[in-house]
Amino acid sequence: MKTIVLGVGNPILQDDGVGIHVINELREHLKDSRVILDIAYTGGMNLLDMIRGFDKVILVDAVKQEGSKTGEVKRFSLTEAPAVHSCNPHDVSLSEALLLAKQLGEEHLPQEIVVIGIVVKNTLDFGEQLSKEVASAVPTAVNLVLTELKNA
Amino acid sequence: MRTITIDPITRLEGHGKISIFLDEHGDVENAYLQIPELRGFEKFSEGRRAEDMPQITSRICGVCPVAHHIAAAKALDAAFHVDPPAAAKKLRELLYCGYIIYDHILHFYFLGGPDFIVGPEAPAAKRNILGVIEKAGIDVAKDVIKHRAYGQKITAILGGKATHPVCGLPGGVSKGLVKDEVKEIKDMVASCNTFAKFTLNLFDDIVLKNKEYVDLIRSDPYTLKTYNMGLVDKHNKVNFYDGMIRVSDQEANEVEKFEGKDYTKHIAEKVEEWSYMKFPYLKSIGWHGLQDGKKSGIYRVGPLGRLNAAEGMATPQAEKEYKRMFDTLGGKPVNSTLAFHWARLIELLYATERAKELIEDSEITSSHIRNPVGNPGAGIGVVEAARGTLIHDYKLDKNGLVEKANLIVATTNNAGAITMSVRDAAKGVIKKGNVNDGLLNKVEMAFRAYDPCFGCATHTLPGGMPLTVNIYDHKKNLSKTISRI
Repeated sequence: MKTIVLGVGNPILQDDGVGIHVINELREHLKDSRVILDIAYTGGMNLLDMIRGFDKVILVDAVKQEGSKTGEVKRFSLTEAPAVHSCNPHDVSLSEALLLAKQLGEEHLPQEIVVIGIVVKNTLDFGEQLSKEVASAVPTAVNLVLTELKNA
Repeated sequence: MRTITIDPITRLEGHGKISIFLDEHGDVENAYLQIPELRGFEKFSEGRRAEDMPQITSRICGVCPVAHHIAAAKALDAAFHVDPPAAAKKLRELLYCGYIIYDHILHFYFLGGPDFIVGPEAPAAKRNILGVIEKAGIDVAKDVIKHRAYGQKITAILGGKATHPVCGLPGGVSKGLVKDEVKEIKDMVASCNTFAKFTLNLFDDIVLKNKEYVDLIRSDPYTLKTYNMGLVDKHNKVNFYDGMIRVSDQEANEVEKFEGKDYTKHIAEKVEEWSYMKFPYLKSIGWHGLQDGKKSGIYRVGPLGRLNAAEGMATPQAEKEYKRMFDTLGGKPVNSTLAFHWARLIELLYATERAKELIEDSEITSSHIRNPVGNPGAGIGVVEAARGTLIHDYKLDKNGLVEKANLIVATTNNAGAITMSVRDAAKGVIKKGNVNDGLLNKVEMAFRAYDPCFGCATHTLPGGMPLTVNIYDHKKNLSKTISRI
């Protein structure tokens, strides 16, 4: 089984880049060389290009959700979270891209896509630092990814 | 007064918000587009190494990494007083053509095109790429995916990395082309050229042969008589990578032509209290509020702005299409906002022809791709991003660190025009408080035509991008909410 863990986000918009921070942390903890760790500053169709050919995909992304607390870490399946990193006004969401690929009869699409979402607050000011709450959520997200890999 | 708020905007997945204000009769009194600006870029850049700017700025936006990358590289050429070798300029321009190819294909088939191909009255759930497949067929969709990927591949080969290039340096590029890559790019470019022509034919069949659509394109709510702006080469033809900034008026006469480095002499920015956006305008004409016409300094950039501001296209097939567009729509300039879609396809064709010229140029495999840099100073770089004129302006200290950075992005250049187009479209379709899905889409069509680019950071989970309309009574109490996914 081919698995990829993909951190999605913008590394220069503070909390938006939390997925990338998680991947950097995972590089220290993950010893399984069969699992690919990568980062993506992009969404939609480009994301689809990156996950083609893998069986399982774990996306780590910043999320905003009404009623949630900054720094909360959540696990979604892609169907529950169809707008993963759809920050991009000039692209489709990953779900739409996947739907399209299926419609076109593409093979080698992932069987399972899991989203580890970290609830963020500041994504409109430039900066490379995470907010305190989000930074302290990184280890939780790392553990969640490791558990997810163990269950795979 | 009642207020209708459309938030967030479907398919434009930043957090843009349209607020439509109705008067007591339920007619549109005014409408505003509000876009949250990303903040603090200037401060963020301060003290950074100048040569990191092409990488940093390409992260600003997931939409236009190549445009920011190349604008930054050009600004650094100027700041370090170095002129890149001819081969380096050609490699950068070829990279740029790849970007225009994938960006314009994506917009036409995924974002703007569904309004026409599926139809402006179709339910929202159908007005997307899947609806396009249903209408145009699965083979067309496969070609869309293939050629968008070709554009990406071309930028990846030249840029050294998919989506976010790393090749641009002050004085040139870090990576040349080898023979095998030339062959691969040649084949992809030839295929893209055929696909561009196919797409223009499709536009003909579906849009131009449909009287209803042509009437819509030419209708008043979608007409805006602003100035037009774009980069032109020495023959006044459209150029994405280099040239002078040319501005033409409502009769297609040239009113200004200047070097990018002089932009502050020609462009000023107005701040309106209700928006984070700055509204650029022509200094020589002045700011007279959100109105079009000769007396207002508001201008348009992007595909239609460029075609209006220039005197033609530099390649034969695109030039033919250029003439046909103006002949069909009643001469120059074309002021129909929805003609942005047509102009975009003509540019797609141009990008494939220009890419062919560049890849067939014997110099493209030259190993002389960088010149030594001089001492750091100040520099301005201008390119035409897919969605319009993009300006990077840096001041460096004596150690080559960034002291000051200012950017004017394409969507900012279009801010005044987009706001007016939204307002006029709303006035045209919302009468006596009558608001439904189809009507709202026509408002969205007005700004979708510009292919605007919002701050690229905000996420909302779960859910797709719901469209929520809040209607307030004249006491500003919420009286009705309409939502759709």
